[in-house]
Amino acid sequence: MSGISKSIPKQDTAEKTSGEALYIGDIKVDGMLHAKTLRSTKTRALIKEIKLPDLPEGYHIVDYRDIPGENYVKIIFEDMPVFAEKTVNYYGEPILLVIGSDKQQILKLIDAIEVIYEPLEPRYKYTKSVVHYEYEKGNTDTAFANAVRTINGEYKTGYQEHIYLEPQGVISLYDENKITILGSMQCPYYIKNAVMQVLNADEDGVRVQQATTGGAFGGKEEFPSLIACQAAVASAKLKKPVSLIYDRMEDIETTTKRHPSLIKFTAAIGPDFTVDGIRAHVSLDSGAYIGLSGVVLQRAMIAASGVYTIKNLSVSGDVYETNSVPNGAFRGFGAPQMFFAVEMFMEHIAKELKYSPLEFKLNYLAKTGDATSTGGQFRNPIIMRDMVHKAWEISDYRRKTTEFSQLGVYKGIGMSLFLHGCGFTGSGEQKHIKAVVRLRKNKDDTVTILASSTDMGQGAATTLRKIAAGILELSVEQIIYNKPDTDHVPDSGPTVASRTIMIVGGLIARAAVDLKEKWKPGEEIIVEQRYKQPEFIKWDEDKLRGDAYPAYSWGVVVSEVEVNPVTWTVELKGLWSVYDIGIAIDERIVIGQIEGGLLQGISYGMMEVMECKEGIIQQRNVTDYIIPTAADSINMHTVLMDNSYPLGPYGAKGAGELPLVGGAPAVAMAIENAIGKKVTRIPVTPEYIMELMKNG
Amino acid sequence: MAEIKFVLNNEKVQIDRDPTMRLLDVLRDDFGLIGVKEGCGEGECGACSVLIDSEVASSCIVPLGNVFDKKIVTIEGFKKTDRYKVLHEAYEEEGAVQCGFCIPGMLLASESLLNKNPHPSEDEIRDGLSGNLCRCTGYNMIVRAVQRAAETGEGLW
Amino acid sequence: MVKSYFPKTYRQALEILAKSNPAIIAGGTDLMVKKRRWSGLSPGFSEDMIFISQLRELDYIRRENGKIYIGANVTLEKLLHDKDIPEILKKAVASMASPGVRHTATLAGNIANASPAGDTLPVLYILNARIVIGSLERENVIQIEDFILGPGSIDLRRSEIIKEIIIDDTDFDFMMYEKVGGRKSDAISKVSFAAAVSSVFDMVTDMRIAIGAVAPTVVRIREFELQLIDTPVNEMAQISGLVKDLYKPLIKPISDQRSTADYRKMCVLNFIEEFLNKAGKRIGKEKDIDW
Ligand SMILES: Cc1cc2nc3c(=O)[nH]c(=O)nc-3n(C[C@H](O)[C@H](O)[C@H](O)COP(=O)(O)OP(=O)(O)OC[C@H]3O[C@@H](n4cnc5c(N)ncnc54)[C@H](O)[C@@H]3O)c2cc1C
Ligand code: FES
Ligand code: FES
Repeated sequence: MSGISKSIPKQDTAEKTSGEALYIGDIKVDGMLHAKTLRSTKTRALIKEIKLPDLPEGYHIVDYRDIPGENYVKIIFEDMPVFAEKTVNYYGEPILLVIGSDKQQILKLIDAIEVIYEPLEPRYKYTKSVVHYEYEKGNTDTAFANAVRTINGEYKTGYQEHIYLEPQGVISLYDENKITILGSMQCPYYIKNAVMQVLNADEDGVRVQQATTGGAFGGKEEFPSLIACQAAVASAKLKKPVSLIYDRMEDIETTTKRHPSLIKFTAAIGPDFTVDGIRAHVSLDSGAYIGLSGVVLQRAMIAASGVYTIKNLSVSGDVYETNSVPNGAFRGFGAPQMFFAVEMFMEHIAKELKYSPLEFKLNYLAKTGDATSTGGQFRNPIIMRDMVHKAWEISDYRRKTTEFSQLGVYKGIGMSLFLHGCGFTGSGEQKHIKAVVRLRKNKDDTVTILASSTDMGQGAATTLRKIAAGILELSVEQIIYNKPDTDHVPDSGPTVASRTIMIVGGLIARAAVDLKEKWKPGEEIIVEQRYKQPEFIKWDEDKLRGDAYPAYSWGVVVSEVEVNPVTWTVELKGLWSVYDIGIAIDERIVIGQIEGGLLQGISYGMMEVMECKEGIIQQRNVTDYIIPTAADSINMHTVLMDNSYPLGPYGAKGAGELPLVGGAPAVAMAIENAIGKKVTRIPVTPEYIMELMKNG
Repeated sequence: MAEIKFVLNNEKVQIDRDPTMRLLDVLRDDFGLIGVKEGCGEGECGACSVLIDSEVASSCIVPLGNVFDKKIVTIEGFKKTDRYKVLHEAYEEEGAVQCGFCIPGMLLASESLLNKNPHPSEDEIRDGLSGNLCRCTGYNMIVRAVQRAAETGEGLW
Repeated sequence: MVKSYFPKTYRQALEILAKSNPAIIAGGTDLMVKKRRWSGLSPGFSEDMIFISQLRELDYIRRENGKIYIGANVTLEKLLHDKDIPEILKKAVASMASPGVRHTATLAGNIANASPAGDTLPVLYILNARIVIGSLERENVIQIEDFILGPGSIDLRRSEIIKEIIIDDTDFDFMMYEKVGGRKSDAISKVSFAAAVSSVFDMVTDMRIAIGAVAPTVVRIREFELQLIDTPVNEMAQISGLVKDLYKPLIKPISDQRSTADYRKMCVLNFIEEFLNKAGKRIGKEKDIDW
């Protein structure tokens, strides 16, 4: 373990254990009004008329007509309105806000509003593609022409809801020249840019400040922009502070979730029984608006060959629009869907060809210097072989595989191999994000980090300070990190895509080197760094060709389960995992990310059921949408293997999303091996196992 | 409306409110005790945990009328105790705090558990905390924090 | 706003109930969730409410003359730690909710809530629970299966209150309780199952089976149970097909957001089989409870 990895207490632990930390729901502002959303009760319809009751003094309606700028939320693809205008496209779509001081009165008014709809034919199936991509590596046609046989696989994944423990919320403050948004968020500048567009305001007209954020996992990446826009429009109109805070049910029913997917593969098996080519197609359900679904699709597609080198690969994908709640960012961003599918597919090919699945997978494992799926290159050392051996050793994998293979045992063990590209896909950092970071040396010789990266529990406030302190040879206490406020920090990009340590931390490290040179005691000095894409990275955004990511983090998860043959319920018996995330900036923080992420991945694979029937989410609260409790979790054995990344700060790569990615395939495979039936969809619930046992 | 008397964080209090109100709202809105969080409002997540006569309870499903003459402790009261110090240090030492939204409730559930069972087994800890959802940590660091607190706080419970 | 009553004694509660017919709130763990509104607002109660959790008189567990008496204010947590409560009821209670809910929720509330998924109900059915109903005029005792009429529906007048629950203090040879939820704790049942058997000279003398969450109310069919009396213990496993066929037509679960009808049905039939298999094997060896 290198020195930087040695753990230190987190900056915010004391204010959190003592209950003093201020989350958005804890902030009270004088004269603050409450807002409640009136929502569509149809999945697709024209709004013919809205009959409003008489509004008592001090009560207001805010809708699309109050928007000074454009009625679109600025996300990657701008198709989601801030308030529905003439049509509604999903059940729960926001139409207007009712605003006032007394909640009871607001509810009364909401009940009294009558919306007359003319229903339109809704779409719930994968029929309308709104984004399409494809790419090819090698020559798949030839591979298929020479194949002695082909093997097909079709895999399905369900929704996943974030259940960050703190529901969404923002408060918009009014000042003559400025709207200030306080909120629970990942990306202050996403919100700032979205609000500017909606209010038709300039840079100085909008300020965004992060409140302590009670978990996010991607759920607070783009969604908060919607409610921030709504609250901002309201407070601009009413010249008052307005709070828009969701309760749990509203949050589950109407906020973004992980895209359900359908993934199809065909493998060309050559004369010597090798996989000579793979064709893959990914379908994602975007819900009613595209938003960032296209980018999620790209990440899923780029992962189509998993951690393996497949010479000939042809991948296509579509985002389908349906009349259901829009889906969006969720830790892993398309990769969890694809890694479940590709890991199962490789397993199924091996079983079909009567190979030992693990030996089979190891044969195709990418090696340093190999071409990536999109024809880029794995430039940095790949140490997966050592990692797999380590995972074997700590989990006693081989012995258990043999022991559990006996009939009537109902125990199983499964191993998933996975990677996650760090940072934005392709030249996203260079072309779209253009991160800027500043360090300000204060007169008292402390140093303030000026960056828009948010800490939502993942520890950025601690790790970024450690990086700066290390290079400046100061104590961590001398480095100041405040929750981002767009009036004080530059846009260093959103806190997403496992980019914070590698990209923002990298910029901080470079700025620190610069500052160290310029250091003069007692003086204020500001240094700045801007992101520069490494020379070697080439990316064609339309063709998805080239280096999709500057670096990759890698992982191996082994999961052991026991299945109860009376009820088909599954008990987790063991979890072992091994990672290469470069160098850990703080080991304990990284392990925290791993344990939390892995449990989310495991429960995505076996527990978390969310269904949408006729456009309506069926599991609408935390009683029905089940996530693991402390009793469902088990001790995890985690190993970090150092593999320093030359361009990362202290050799670090990304670690935020990776651990979620490997959970579902590992547990699905363990269950498959325990019941001896082919698993092709997640979550693997007892109900699904029963079906498999009956029909499979 | 009714006059409801109870002991809140070691002080006698009295409040004239609708007794069907959620204890959670009274604590947050009337007493400003914002360490009591609302994560679900349906008794499932434990973010709103408080101690009622030393036992953990979900204040979002407790009507104010049910705390007549009871002793209520929230994180704001608990943080003044030695047991809090031990728990805080153990949580910090184990890295058990991420976003923190579950944490005040988790600490009070830990206190309630240790109060009944000063030397809980791992399974007993998992069971004792099973009403407090945490989406960030995967729970193991929290479980270890309680184990650590039980050791370092030997004699306090 | 609705009116709230705080009787100081049980007698006073009866008087208020007789005079004003308020609705009863005990722990509130069901009611507060059902009537929940926007945070900061009072729950949406439309009736006057009588609070009873302060009545210490109704907080007792007594064991006398082969019966166990449980006062209406006994919380689930208290049941868990009382030496007189049968293990099978403790197992059901331990599977319910979480410590934070169990500390305030009551057994009487679980009964009066009359949810098809109420977890204590199958156990109470096989323990022949009787509900003692109090009112100013009289005290009534009624069998639980007559008391629970359907989902959320009970045989209780506005002037009445559940005063206590009486269960059999029977020593069975073998008992089994199973609950299937979506996770290990804090889960609403997909199905629940309770069964018990006694024998004399290796012949079944008493057999009880109750199934929860597969019909509007708990399924317990005494005439089926009578048919099984006098079955030789060592033949119990063989008759499991027959027994399953008996119950099959009565197990009519629904598919909902928590599970499917097929799955619920499968679990129940498997539990019946498992119960008969295990009971057949264990009886005669040593008295046992299957955990
Ligand atoms: C998070 C959570 C998890 C839960 N998990 C489970 C579970 O796993 N299994 C399960 O079965 N239940 C579960 N429940 C439901 C609930 O806890 C139980 O039904 C509880 O036992 C109800 O008791 P109470 O005292 O809180 O009832 P209250 O909410 O006070 O009342 C419930 C009903 O009973 C009536 N009532 C109460 N006492 C009396 C009386 N003495 N006389 C007449 N009527 C009366 C009330 O009028 C009301 O109609 C859960 C609840 C929550 C919030
Ligand atoms: S807010 Fe009370 S249990 Fe979730
Ligand atoms: S630390 Fe975020 S929910 Fe527990």
